[in-house]
Formats: sequence, C-alpha cells, structure tokens
Amino acid sequence: MKQNIDVYVNDQKISLYRGMKVKHALIAYDQSLYKAALDGEIRVEDANGFTVGIEGSLTDGSKIFTIATA
Amino acid sequence: MPNLKRGVFASSTARLLFLILMLLLPAMPLAASAALARQAEINLTILHVNDTHGHIIPYLDKSVDSARPVGGAEYLAKMVERERAANPRGTILLSAGDMFQGTPVSNLFHGKPLVEIMNYLCYDAMALGNHEFDWGQDVLQSIISSASFPVVSANVFERGGRRIRGVRPYVMLKRKGLRIAVIGITTPDTFYTSKPGNLTGLTFVHPEKVLPAIIRRVRAQGASIVVALTHDGVDADRELARKVRGIDIIVGGHSHTAIKDPVIESGTVIVQAGSNGIYLGVLNITFDRAKKKILSYTRKDELRLVSPASGAQLDPKVAQIVDKYEAQVKTEFSKVIGTAAADLTRDPTRESDLGDVVADAMREASGTQIAFQNGGGIRSDIPRGPITLEAVFTSLPFDDDLITMDLTGEQIRELLEKSVLSENMLQVSGIQIVYDLSKPAGAKAVSVEVAGKPMEPQATYRVVTNDFLASGGNQFNIFKKGRNISAGSPLRDAVADYIRKNSPINVQARDRIVFKN
Repeated sequence: MKQNIDVYVNDQKISLYRGMKVKHALIAYDQSLYKAALDGEIRVEDANGFTVGIEGSLTDGSKIFTIATA
Repeated sequence: MPNLKRGVFASSTARLLFLILMLLLPAMPLAASAALARQAEINLTILHVNDTHGHIIPYLDKSVDSARPVGGAEYLAKMVERERAANPRGTILLSAGDMFQGTPVSNLFHGKPLVEIMNYLCYDAMALGNHEFDWGQDVLQSIISSASFPVVSANVFERGGRRIRGVRPYVMLKRKGLRIAVIGITTPDTFYTSKPGNLTGLTFVHPEKVLPAIIRRVRAQGASIVVALTHDGVDADRELARKVRGIDIIVGGHSHTAIKDPVIESGTVIVQAGSNGIYLGVLNITFDRAKKKILSYTRKDELRLVSPASGAQLDPKVAQIVDKYEAQVKTEFSKVIGTAAADLTRDPTRESDLGDVVADAMREASGTQIAFQNGGGIRSDIPRGPITLEAVFTSLPFDDDLITMDLTGEQIRELLEKSVLSENMLQVSGIQIVYDLSKPAGAKAVSVEVAGKPMEPQATYRVVTNDFLASGGNQFNIFKKGRNISAGSPLRDAVADYIRKNSPINVQARDRIVFKN
C-alpha cells in the first residue's frame, strides 16, 4: 500500500499520510476549519451526507464536506 | 328432569356449534397458515456501538448539541436495558472496536473502566480496533483476559498463522432458535496508525481474503445470519459488501460515521453509530425462517442519541463504576511524576526551556536524530518544584501523537526558514541553528548543525514531530513531504515518561536557536 492517500475536502484534493484522520484533512485544507469544527461552528459530512467525527478515519479517495451549523 | 332439559340444551348447542364450525371451516387453513407464517418470522434487535474511545462521561460536543452534554455510559446502559426488555430473547449487543483509548478516565487505567462496564452490560462480541493496540500487546492481553465478552478478528494473525491469544475469528450466537455468526474484522491500516513496536509479529490480512472461507464455514455450521463486525470504515465496508457475497449485515466502525439511515450495498445492510458513545445503534430485523432471508430491517433513524438531558434515566451500577474511576483520575493527576530544577517556561516566538524539554522528550521516545514541536502547542509553564501529571496535561492540552519521518537536509532548512518567520516557532532538539536576522527571507539560517556537524543538504535525517505539524499545521507543509512515516506514542505520554526518567529536569540555557544582528 502506498504511504500517502488523496482525500477531497469540499472537492479540493488534499494529500495526507495513510492513517491520518478527518481533523488532519481539515488542518491541511484550512486550519481555521479545524478550530471551527472543535467549536461546533461546522460539522463534517461524508459523500453520503452522513456526519463524521473529526477523529474518523479516511481512505484513499474519501470525500468530506464542511457544513456550517445553524 | 334436569337431565332432560340439559339434554335438550346440549343437543341444540351442539347443533349450533356444528353450524358455526361448518361456516368457519373454509377459513381455518388460512388462519393456520397465517399463524405458521408468524412463527416463521423472527424479530431480532441488534444493538451496536463503536469508537467509544473511553468516553464514559457525558461531554459537550458542539457539533451535536451546542448547549447540552451528550453521551454517558450510565445513560447508554439504561437504553440497552430498555431495548432488551422490548425483545428479551432476540437482542444482541455488539461493539465494532476502539473502545478504550481516548480519555484520561480510560487511558490512565488502560481501559479498565470500559471493560468493567462492558462486562456488566454483557456485550455479545467486540471487534478488535486499531487503537486496541495503542498500549502494546501485553496490555491488550490484559484487556482480553479480563473481558467476559468475546473479542473477534478474523484477519489478524501472529507468526505462523496463529490467532492472537484470546481472539477468535467469529462467535456464533443463538437467538430464538436462530444461529447468528458474528465475524470480526480489523483495519489493515492499523500498521499506519500504531507504533510499529506495538505490532511486532502481527500480520493484518485484507478482509476479502479471509472472509469467504469463514462465511462458508459458519453457513455450514448452521448460521442463518452472517454479521461482519468490522473496524475498517464505511468506505471499506461498502467495498467489502461489493466484493464478498454472503454478508447479511455489516456493523461497522473506524470512520466515526453516524449512519442515520442504514446503507444498502449489494444487498448487505451497513450500519455504524458515530463515535464517543454519543449514539446507540438499534437495528431491528425480521428474519423469515422458511425463506431463510431478512424480510425487513430498520430503514430510517437507526441511531438513538445518548443524552443525560432532564428526565433521562440512568443505570446506577454503571454510574457507580464511572464515579469510582472519575475519583481516581483526580488522584492520578495529583501524583508527582518528577521535579523541575527551575521554572520551565514557554515562548512560542523563540527557544524556550519547556520547548526544549518537550522536544527532547519527543526525540528520546522516538529515537530520532531531530525533533520539532510547534511552540503554540505548549500552553502553560511548569513551575519549579514537583511536577504532577496534571501539569503535563495542562501544558499540552491537545491530543497530539508523535510521527516520525525521513527528511532531507534541504527540506529541514526550508522548515527552519519558515520557522523564523512564524509566530509559532519550532521548538527543536538534536539541531543547532544560528539565524542572521539581517539576511533576506529564505537565507536567514546561516549555520545549521546536527549532532555537532554541519547539516548536509542531500543527506537524509530521521525526524520526529507531532501529527498536527505532519498534516501541514501552521503552514509547515514540508512535513507533508516526509518518507518512511511511522506513528508514535501520544506526545503527553512521551513527555511524562521523559520527566519520570530524567528528573530533576535541568534547564540550563541550551542555545539551540541563536539570533544575531
């Protein structure tokens, strides 16, 4: 298995080390979003529209989206 | 007389009954077959959790509820009790792994509070998650031996193809005369998420290579329903359902996905209950014994929020277990683990005493040549005198883990040039830098030495950092270009161990980062 995976945050491709999590994808994409997720200002959904935790795993090709909370 | 009268009455009643019987006779086969059909339909309830990560105390997760805490093992326990009462002979309780690591109340006792609660709740099976290996194989053995529930994983092997002691590939459960096979799966990505030393001698095989044979075996043993209890993430679960035939239900974990409405992939029902003990998954299914298939299952709103909101009932026995360990956390936090010979101060804009200690601890824990820690990740000073575990947690409040990698001298120089311009300067160990602030950006590091020798641009150096920086935090994107990546221990553990071994901590000026001009 290759060491890096490509994931997509809001359709933007991000390269991460295999084993990294949703929070790492947010940090790599836009660090302020990671803080926003911790503060409950956004939540993260997967491609199926299900909410995922920021400690959740990612696989090569995973797509996640940040959604502003009300 | 009375007999005559009775005889007349009996005679007329008999005639009436005969007439009724004749009228009802054509309908009887239909009624009987409906009753038989009802007998053939079996209602089962599969309760499931995953990725609890030691969360047994209610906490505020603002993405779920901005004002009120969620979760709490004592509330979850009561919900389990209610579901069992609704289907006493037909309920099973499963965990898809990663139960223990993640909070002080669990970490400090290596998962014991969770094991006690799970034993009390009589879990029917738990899959091995990748974080079950975080404390090494000896601690895992201790957890397994104290668990009264089966721990399952079909794709993890020791040398020679043996199973880990106490871990079975599957468990066969019986409910209402049905056999239900629950097969465990552990993510093959475990090698990328755990310290290599914790996985010595272990092999993680891809699930699709082991499952077909096991499914054949359990079907031959009479399993009517096959449940894959997986810790591999929902994307991998979907792929598994596409590749492997014969899995009726996947109860998953690892991706922390709150699958509100069950997913169907190639005929397999896939569920997962978020993370951190916030949800209890409740999958009700109706199985047709004659047709040997699932007739119906919960299609909407499969997850129940665990909440201590007013009016919520709790299980007093579980509350007692939680309280017992919560009280012990305070004792553990107040224990002295070492001493500081002088104040250990932090400063994210330059080299600091505490920054040096943290970076030294990282290098010692990982055995690397160089360590880099973001200055902003150290949040409070440690005063001179006894050092408690609480002081370490207060100084390092983030759940960072160590990551080791190879970087070239050229890449390290690029990091150092970025660092000197950053508000969150890198704290270092194993490297000495002289910055000439009069030089232009990109050329300020006029001298860089590793172990007393000039750093070679083309040479490769083994470096440790934390996972925040390794994912490009604070714009240190060079860390994303490392090679030969390895996961390490939690940063706090590394620092606490360093303080235990090296006290009294001496804080002489080390001059690792020197400015001139």
